[in-house]
Amino acid sequence: MGNFRTLFVHSLKAEWSHAERWLSPLLFATTMLAIFSFAIGDVPEDTAISIYLAETFLTALFALQLSFSRMLEPDTSDRVFDLLRTYPVSPSAWFLSKYVLVVIMGLLILLPTMMLSNFFNAELGIPPLSSAMLLIGCLVIASLASLGVLLSTMMMRSNAKQILYPLLYFPLTTPILLAAVEASRSLLVNNVTLEALFQSWLGLLLVFGVVYFTLGILLFSELVKPE
Amino acid sequence: MLEVSDLSFGFRFRPIFAGVSFSLDSGQMLHIQGPNGCGKTTLMSILAGLKQANSGSITFKQAHNALPEDLRKHAEYLPAEANALYGKMDAMQNLKFWLNLRGHKAKEEVLTRALERWDLGHKLIRSQFPVEKFSTGMKRRLALARVELSNTRLWLLDEPLYGLDAKGIETFQQAVKTHLESGGSILIVSHEVSALAMFHPQALLMPGKKG
Repeated sequence: MGNFRTLFVHSLKAEWSHAERWLSPLLFATTMLAIFSFAIGDVPEDTAISIYLAETFLTALFALQLSFSRMLEPDTSDRVFDLLRTYPVSPSAWFLSKYVLVVIMGLLILLPTMMLSNFFNAELGIPPLSSAMLLIGCLVIASLASLGVLLSTMMMRSNAKQILYPLLYFPLTTPILLAAVEASRSLLVNNVTLEALFQSWLGLLLVFGVVYFTLGILLFSELVKPE
Repeated sequence: MLEVSDLSFGFRFRPIFAGVSFSLDSGQMLHIQGPNGCGKTTLMSILAGLKQANSGSITFKQAHNALPEDLRKHAEYLPAEANALYGKMDAMQNLKFWLNLRGHKAKEEVLTRALERWDLGHKLIRSQFPVEKFSTGMKRRLALARVELSNTRLWLLDEPLYGLDAKGIETFQQAVKTHLESGGSILIVSHEVSALAMFHPQALLMPGKKG
């Protein structure tokens, strides 16, 4: 617990001291949504919600990828990561501290992205951040955060990080994004209840979250052990 | 205390070193020597737990008849070409972080005294200046202050004198003297032989490349 608190508080401070790390994904999201809004223009009402969901989650995916790929940057400089590996630190506490940090950073990017998308699509009359959409957003972040930590750590140990990261990130995130889009569409277009969604797309999202988190806990210790 | 037996390491089928054995008791210093590329830094990385040896064993005991323990709890490592400092944070924040990770309560006055010893005691340098703005020597002194405060029995120092001025070397010698006198031990890689002569270290000569 002591290890977790120390690592988490310090990582949060390190993240906060690099403002560009959370500012640039937000600026990127704003630009993307503005471009979508101008490029797509007026569309028939029945496809407008589908387009809204596509642009929201696509923008969020790229903004989060931008943020996650740089998540462990403070640890990579000056061999901080290596010294951490020589300390008597529990890998689970280390993973959890990074996981919680990524969840917070992810929500700080995803929630404004969803609100901005709502603003650019105000004519649809979708309430900004309804509790159901918030739940979907949280489940997406909970799943992506495990992947973010795992892949960022893996990349720190790899010589082929530039090519490996996108090769692994996009295929592994696609099922999460599909489940999130389908769940949101069922909710907004077909008026399916949350209870019913937990039997289908939302349930799948939850399963992915649990699987990726378990994999993260199990594999992280492998990534920090001696080469 | 530390016993290394028949250690060997190779990289991509190329042997770097083989048959390295030594033991180190409390209050002793071992100076690892050898030409460039003979595996001094690799040996240090293995002892620090960053690399896995191909064969051989490393055993650390608090006393001769005690049970072997996890070396990471008792060893502090200083890498050769880096200081492992967070650039955007100040000196105090860096020291507090590493000490907290070892489970030590980092008291402000203890840290301030240590920084003063290493000539980093000015308030501006101590807590209002990100480490990334420090000079090479200042960063090295801060990293050495961390080693000194780690309260560990074994120091693994890889070129610790890199970038230090005469005063820094003097402070280093004082810290080493205190550590050895209090029963600690040191493994050191350094080309600055004269600065270590006063401690009469044992020498471990690593053979260079053959052929």
